[in-house]
Amino acid sequence: MKIKVAKENCTGCKLCMQICAIQHYGEINPKKAAIHIDAEYPAPGVYTPKLCVQCGKCMEACPVDAISLVGDAYIIDPEICTDCGICVEVCPFDVMFVHADAPTPIMCDLCMKCTEVCNTGALTAVE
Amino acid sequence: MIIYLRSGRKLHDLLKPDVDQYTRHVEMQEGATLVEILGELGIPLVMVAFAFVDGKVRKLDYAPTDGDVITIQSPVAGG
Amino acid sequence: MNGFGGTILRINMETGEIKRTPTPEKFAREWMGARGFVAKTVYDEVPRDADPLGPENILIMAPGVLTGTFAPAGSKIGFGCISPATNGHADSNMGGHLGAEMKYAGYDMVVFERISPEPVYLYIDDDTIELRSAGDYWGMGSLDLEKRMKDDLGEDFQIATIGPAGENGVVYSCITHDFGRQAGRCGVGAVMGSKKLKAIAIRGTKSIPVHDLPTLTKSTYDIIQRTKTHPLMEPWQKYGTALFVGWSNDHGCFPSRNFQTTYHEGWEGISGEKLAEEILVTHKACFGCWINCGKYSRARIPGKPDIYVEGPEYETIALCGGSCGMTNIHDVAYANYLCDNLGLDTMSGGNTIGFAMECYEKGIITKDDLEGHELRWGNIDDFENVLRMIADRRGIGEVLSHGTKGAAERLGRGTLAFAHQAKGMEFSGYDTRWYSAQLLSYCTSDIGAHHNRSWAITADIEIGQDTPEGKAAVVIYLQHIRPLFDTWCCCRLFWGEVDVTAEEHVDTIGYLTGWDVTFEECMKISEKIWNLTRSHYIERNGGPGRQFDVAPARQLEEKVPSGPAEGQRVGVENFEYMLDDYYYNRGWDKNGNPTREVLEILGLPHVADNLEKAGLLGEPFEDGVPKVRGQRLKPKAM
Repeated sequence: MKIKVAKENCTGCKLCMQICAIQHYGEINPKKAAIHIDAEYPAPGVYTPKLCVQCGKCMEACPVDAISLVGDAYIIDPEICTDCGICVEVCPFDVMFVHADAPTPIMCDLCMKCTEVCNTGALTAVE
Repeated sequence: MIIYLRSGRKLHDLLKPDVDQYTRHVEMQEGATLVEILGELGIPLVMVAFAFVDGKVRKLDYAPTDGDVITIQSPVAGG
Repeated sequence: MNGFGGTILRINMETGEIKRTPTPEKFAREWMGARGFVAKTVYDEVPRDADPLGPENILIMAPGVLTGTFAPAGSKIGFGCISPATNGHADSNMGGHLGAEMKYAGYDMVVFERISPEPVYLYIDDDTIELRSAGDYWGMGSLDLEKRMKDDLGEDFQIATIGPAGENGVVYSCITHDFGRQAGRCGVGAVMGSKKLKAIAIRGTKSIPVHDLPTLTKSTYDIIQRTKTHPLMEPWQKYGTALFVGWSNDHGCFPSRNFQTTYHEGWEGISGEKLAEEILVTHKACFGCWINCGKYSRARIPGKPDIYVEGPEYETIALCGGSCGMTNIHDVAYANYLCDNLGLDTMSGGNTIGFAMECYEKGIITKDDLEGHELRWGNIDDFENVLRMIADRRGIGEVLSHGTKGAAERLGRGTLAFAHQAKGMEFSGYDTRWYSAQLLSYCTSDIGAHHNRSWAITADIEIGQDTPEGKAAVVIYLQHIRPLFDTWCCCRLFWGEVDVTAEEHVDTIGYLTGWDVTFEECMKISEKIWNLTRSHYIERNGGPGRQFDVAPARQLEEKVPSGPAEGQRVGVENFEYMLDDYYYNRGWDKNGNPTREVLEILGLPHVADNLEKAGLLGEPFEDGVPKVRGQRLKPKAM
């Protein structure tokens, strides 16, 4: 499964960010989400959901081999990760997020919860 | 012919949905307008602001065609 | 404390001192948030003779219990103070993302006291709180400044700003956020300007503690799935509130040319459909909302710069559009943009300019007053000229900067009869001559004529448009339930439109906080707030209360000249009947003054004491006040 992004449908409501943080951290805190929304306002008036495209560059760069491909998604093993930040630096799409209270960088594990709450078709689950 | 009327809010109980929780199927004469159809169903016209058919707002003089899925909206507005 | 940020901030703008105190749970439970926090704090702290634009007024910014949580559309934040428009309690709220951000930074209320010697903005980055110089920002437009501050501070800051109108003390100045969400009413922007506070920038990265996250998550998740297929979801998503422009015209409640009539010839040119066809750029949502009623637009007018604006939504279309005689959606969007960037409420602003256009038509305002310009119905250049004069308080703009009531008092010549306001705040976008419950709603409202205190148009239709009977009790109920959403701080659209019940919102509060809160308890809180702000208004302005519940003469006496409501008017007798009925049903005396009995039931004995001292306490009821004050409308047809 993959997440298809149709940014023209995004309204910037951040439900995806909320459910992501709830799902992965058990907290109400959209800053701990693996998805963020870029807002280009006042012109041209575009929201862009940003999340991992599963390119694997982070796994290649990880000095301690903490990142591996599990199913369709690259996953960080928090037991191994030293939170060195190299993967965040090399990420070509700036979609590995950091939060002061998170033990590792935050990246999408394709849990699909965001696609379940999105009501505009901006995020949909596809095979 | 058959059309499908959908609504919620105050119109929900008047509509008596039978297809799913929001939808009622209605058998009707071809050419009848929504005013006539709502009248037969006993739904007061003042309770219906307008209809919404295929993404477009329609007034109640709209004459549905076979298979139309029509949302009827009760009035509420404001910023 | 579960469900809240945990800290209240007090900022002395004069000295720069910043105090942090923990949010007391008793205070949170008893007042719930935004509107409640404001009502209690302003009542307790602002001297009764304080000038609304002077140092003794305070400005409050407060989200509510549901803000920033996974509640449906928990997006709201309230601002409050004493209003320079009404000289009474003021609260005004907005959606967007500011309220949520504030709670993620850990704050439930900020109280701004006194006046800063220099222009400043408030900077909050979690625990870092600073008043920073806004010298470079002073004078900038609201929208221009938001962009500038995003560039200066970072995209992830949420920003609220005022425009030049707020700096200059125009009494209907607003606070703007998210490029088009406003705390528009009551002149909160003018009070912010009076404190030399140009903007607020917040970034918060903390979590909001929750009592029962799994249940909260499941509840909202299920509501999302259920409402996604609701038949009314699509029209709302597609057109937003502008959907109702046609309906209002068909039902004779749309203001045309300063409420001269109630069917606007050419409304099709400024309808929701026209908006979607011609100017829509994208749909735009507030935090945590999947209805996305916000419409983001681009207007193109020959000879003017292309502009982007959020809207125009129904109220702006009615008041900048219909009431100013416009028939082109590009013009309305441009007017909306001008109001937003200059920092003026599109509702009171549009209403006031419609009033001025009628004055011009009647020869009461002339070209000489307008620096050589005209002020013709539907002319966007004329609209722009006078709007800029208002924002700068230049010439006739100074007169109009006081709103329709203040302007009518200055202009004289019978203009008060067509100044559409109550207590100094302008009507929302509904004429009431065929809708007496709506007129009663406007005129008894604590903050003035605002539809979000009670929107009773459908109640009028269901009870009967030709009778004043049975209106008062329903208006009271609406005045309790609608502003309750401004206390909880979630959007009322889910309740009003897609069948999420008020009880479901109350359950959400329970999952969040762990309180065993009920709908009845919340409604009692709302009634308590209403009685508190009413008492506050009377105390500040002298009584009796009835003398302030006044309707514009046009709504009472002039018959609608055209359209579906032709020949309709409310009539003085009917209005007085409804007032009597209203006061009785509230447990207030015939003078419109709250009684000790009702204030004590609501836990406000000290308010009764204060009214008594001022000689304004209501005469007691011989048989006791009504046990149930306000009555839910049961539609006849159901």
